[in-house]
Amino acid sequence: MPGAAITVPVDVYRHQPGVDSAPRFQHYSVEVAPHTPVLSVLLKLRAETDPTLSLRYSCRSAICGSCAMRINSKSRLACETPVGPEVERHGRVVVEPMANQPVVRDLVVDQGPFWRRYDQIEPHLKVDPKHPMPQGRPNPMTPAQVERFHDTPRCIACAACYSACPAVAADPEFPGPMALAKLYRFVVDPRDAATQDRLVRIQTEGLWLCLRCHLCTEACPKDVRPSERIRDLKELAIAAQGVTERGSRHAVAFKENLLDRGTLSEAKLARQTFGLAGMVGQLPHSLAILRKKPEVARKPPAIEGKEELERIYAALDKESGP
Amino acid sequence: MKFAYYPGCVAQESGRELDLSTRWVARALGIELVEFPKFSCCGSGFVDEANEVLNVAINARNLAIAEAAGLDILTICSTCQGMLSLARLRMSDPAVRAKVDGALTPIGITYRGTSNVTHLLRVLVEQVGLDAIRAKVRRPLSGLKVGAFYGCHLLRPADELKWESPEEPHAFEDLLAALGAEPVLYRGRVMCCGFPIQFVKPETAGRIAGRQILDAKEHGADAMATPCPLCHISLDAYQAPAEKLLDRPLSMPVFHLPQLVALAFGARPDELGLERHLVSTGPAVAKIAPAAP
Repeated sequence: MPGAAITVPVDVYRHQPGVDSAPRFQHYSVEVAPHTPVLSVLLKLRAETDPTLSLRYSCRSAICGSCAMRINSKSRLACETPVGPEVERHGRVVVEPMANQPVVRDLVVDQGPFWRRYDQIEPHLKVDPKHPMPQGRPNPMTPAQVERFHDTPRCIACAACYSACPAVAADPEFPGPMALAKLYRFVVDPRDAATQDRLVRIQTEGLWLCLRCHLCTEACPKDVRPSERIRDLKELAIAAQGVTERGSRHAVAFKENLLDRGTLSEAKLARQTFGLAGMVGQLPHSLAILRKKPEVARKPPAIEGKEELERIYAALDKESGP
Repeated sequence: MKFAYYPGCVAQESGRELDLSTRWVARALGIELVEFPKFSCCGSGFVDEANEVLNVAINARNLAIAEAAGLDILTICSTCQGMLSLARLRMSDPAVRAKVDGALTPIGITYRGTSNVTHLLRVLVEQVGLDAIRAKVRRPLSGLKVGAFYGCHLLRPADELKWESPEEPHAFEDLLAALGAEPVLYRGRVMCCGFPIQFVKPETAGRIAGRQILDAKEHGADAMATPCPLCHISLDAYQAPAEKLLDRPLSMPVFHLPQLVALAFGARPDELGLERHLVSTGPAVAKIAPAAP
């Protein structure tokens, strides 16, 4: 019978900073149907077993974005993650607060850092004062213009992407997937007058730290696909401003490098991206690599049919085209 | 079994031990690797950042080369796998297709979308099969605890690549178990190696790589293994700087996937280019291959 109750071992992260000396995992066991969401299990535990268990939630319908947490390491909405498959795969359900944000208590995190990054991209329309919106109604957009948003307006700001992101974890300069997906939404909005400024600013404010690992896209409960919109932002930023940062320099250098021989010349690429001066700092370790892998320094042979690539570039790449 | 072999740039240059060991495994399993000197670089995700349509066109050209020979493409790099697969997908968008065809048709290249793109890991698990792998094992990797490290572009975006679970895959672990090794499960196995920003901000890239290595180590791994030469650069070649950034000793041997397969099949370490790694694989190899009396 598909709905028959199963035993679900649950390990919940418990910590009250300032009171508890260290975080711990508290073990519970509940009998529920396999389709029961993790959120319902936590609420059942709180109602029946432990009223001190702290968590954030509201709508229970994947609309409000309040109940994001880590469930068996995956950043997800607890209200739409059934326990059955988790128990099948892991034998238990380990519940932890979202990563990359300080814990307030148990499963509740301080979303301050996440929202500050959001504020910094100025997530509101900047209308050109010379062309104000006609009184009483916004400028209408064509369906094609709306399509350029992709699914970014669906974002519910749950921060699951922020929790899943390894660049956020490693570098405070990275604004995070959600803020960048929002930025994209304003950059492609035909009513926004600050597109150019936005693109220029973001190049120096962490855009190029995205790893394109797509962990945000997997974590997103609304299929916003932040990693793909960040890619779009990078191409738009290069088009708007050219190559100003090491990130954009590297992307464009790679593109040119490929055209050169059809295959990658590793040493040349490093030179193009870092510049000779920038390479000096890397020298000791580069020499260690060179000793083991001397090919790094040599020019690889060109591929056959390189002229085909030249024609493709001429047709599709403005910078290298006629 | 016969494939259009797409080794990718790194396996032909700084990571040629990967090419070497792939060829060893292919010989052992009777997989024919057909070479195409016309294949170009896949763009490695960087060309995609600079010009998406150009990136699709470059890879549509690669795909067309394999199509003309009636072969599927075999990759040995998670990033090549991702770029070639995504090019196929983007070519199903009529607007992208029109632009790319507009560049390919005048030079006599026709893309049809008839060749599939697959990775060595998939071929071993799905086409060769774990039973056939087990039958070939001469020197089980027993006693060796290995943390598989997948590489993002083999798994994600999952709805586009349509293979394993993007956050809880098991093909690599299944293969390691078939070779006699003990797979180590740790969260870092599906995380990023940091490579894409190695040239943008090396210290951040190093911290990211170091975290995954440390995660594997803390879960008891004696060694890591990866199906991606770019991950290998981050995890092996740049392990020393990562160690300094984390201020934690790592000393983690990192194998290329086919190196471990070949070792289990009885290859000698010196046939597999292990001496080219920055972090010695010696301690790990010693665990599986005690010196013969």
